[in-house]
Amino acid sequence: MEIAKGQRLPLSALITDGPASDFQVGLQISGMGAAVDFACFGLDAQQKLSDERYMIFYNQAKSPCGGIELSAPAGDNAGFLCRLDRLPASIDHLVFTAAVDGSALMRQLQSGYLRFLAAGREHARFAFTGADFQDEKALMLGDIYRKDGTWRFSASGQGFNGGLAALVKHFGGEVADEAPSSASPTSKLSLEKKIAATAPKLVDLAKKVSVSLEKHRLTETIARVGLVLDASGSMYAQYDKGKVQEVIERLLPLAVHFDDDGELDVWAFSQRVLALPAATMGNYSDYIKEADYGWRNWGMMSTNNEPAVIENVIQQYRESVLPVLVIFISDGGVSKNKEIQRLLTDAARLPIFWQFVGIGGRNYGVLEKLDTMTDRLVDNCGFFALDDLHSVSEQALYDRLLSEFPLWLKEARQKGILR
Amino acid sequence: MAISLAKGGNVNLSKEAPGLNKIVVGLGWDARATDGAAFDLDASAFLVKLDGKVRSDNDFCFYNNKVVADGAVQHAGDNLTGAGEGDDETVKVELAKIPADLDKVVFAVTIHDAEARKQNFGQVSHAYIRVVNEDGGQEIARYDLSEDASIETAMIFGEIYRVGADWKFKAVGQGFAGGLGPLASSFGVNV
Repeated sequence: MEIAKGQRLPLSALITDGPASDFQVGLQISGMGAAVDFACFGLDAQQKLSDERYMIFYNQAKSPCGGIELSAPAGDNAGFLCRLDRLPASIDHLVFTAAVDGSALMRQLQSGYLRFLAAGREHARFAFTGADFQDEKALMLGDIYRKDGTWRFSASGQGFNGGLAALVKHFGGEVADEAPSSASPTSKLSLEKKIAATAPKLVDLAKKVSVSLEKHRLTETIARVGLVLDASGSMYAQYDKGKVQEVIERLLPLAVHFDDDGELDVWAFSQRVLALPAATMGNYSDYIKEADYGWRNWGMMSTNNEPAVIENVIQQYRESVLPVLVIFISDGGVSKNKEIQRLLTDAARLPIFWQFVGIGGRNYGVLEKLDTMTDRLVDNCGFFALDDLHSVSEQALYDRLLSEFPLWLKEARQKGILR
Repeated sequence: MAISLAKGGNVNLSKEAPGLNKIVVGLGWDARATDGAAFDLDASAFLVKLDGKVRSDNDFCFYNNKVVADGAVQHAGDNLTGAGEGDDETVKVELAKIPADLDKVVFAVTIHDAEARKQNFGQVSHAYIRVVNEDGGQEIARYDLSEDASIETAMIFGEIYRVGADWKFKAVGQGFAGGLGPLASSFGVNV
């Protein structure tokens, strides 16, 4: 069943077989090019968050009663298991929200949905696109609420330009340290602890990242990290053999350390550009196979159009108050040299550093000369090429990835590009 | 104590308030708490004959035609945002002055510019219609539409109609596709 924005109906109309009190809500927002934080707020009858234990998100995965629990259905960015019978009478509303950081706005999203799953299948879906929204940075996507002894659902689809802080304020909550994406340097957990808690597989890599970070005096730096993946036809074998997945696994610990939200923003490009859901410690392990229905469904694998993705990345980060490290993977065959040069020269005044990495290819064109390109406010690009990701040790890879970034940070601060 | 009606319910106004003549029909909704274009709701009233049609375009009472049927029905004006306490829009009706060939007054609310603003009634909170005795200010009946309002952009909130010598009020809560123009056409208004 399709639910339209604004529609109100009883849950029993959505979940027709079995009890309408046990179900899973799946949430997805694609093509945002920025990390999206999802949460479920359990509110009282006045629609206020009178009990902060009922704000369920990645830092508080379960309500005390067990009635709401963080749990993403396969294929979704996030999700919640709901057992309404366990909720105390004081909880009157469950509001499902999405929030973005930085300069991203909800009207930029390509597609998204809130869906209901029960007994192993989807029962109903509220689908939306960026055209449904304007300048919101936080949205109330749906509201499950009590009415005359039954539970109902409303596809609210409204929100706040002020983002998560405005949303929490709307619910009467205190906007302090508990807001999920307001990580400050002092609250930053150590990298290894953070990773050990959620992605033990990456602990070894995390240790190596830490060594490189120390070496380059970057342990206190907070930055956003973006990853651009060449998905042109010549990359087929790299995707097919899992090499690109390895790139994700190797780079995620870097993003987790630097990033304000611990997520890696990912783009794929070929002739066109695809902004993928952020890679996180929760979804990294099958990212290339699963993100946005998996790489085979991305509609890529044609020619390489670097300028289009560079423009898209600039659009995403141009207003960022944090420095941005963009790691740009290419296998060469670069032909749009003039356009790339013009874009990157203009972008020198923005808080973005571009680290190009050539993998297994040749004819990197202008990318090889970026280091020495003149007429720029600052040197905002680095490049190195590898025959294979495995041709260097992980430690060496991190060292190379981080060698030019600190130089740029220093220069960009001096020139007032960064505050 | 006012009678709270559910969708489809009705109440005999003349029995609830003997001697009732002047009423105020109040329509309300909550101002938008979220960001985005305000919800600008417009109330209108259609004075229709037994066949459900107006006698002429002049029996369509709205923000551009505020006084109809020699003052039997008067629109108090447009509130653009729903801000403030109490009714957001009111229509005054003097029952005794309603011409004998008219059988019913239908109260509808439409969302201004709904399509461009991508709005519908499901996003508006706490929409209601109430009937108040102008003499003394007593609320006689109220219908809270919030659960019956959904993806529509035009809704018939309620209607008052003759039953013999009495007047009754019915909570209609019926959505109508297309906004004010098509709604008016359905009552025989040339738009």
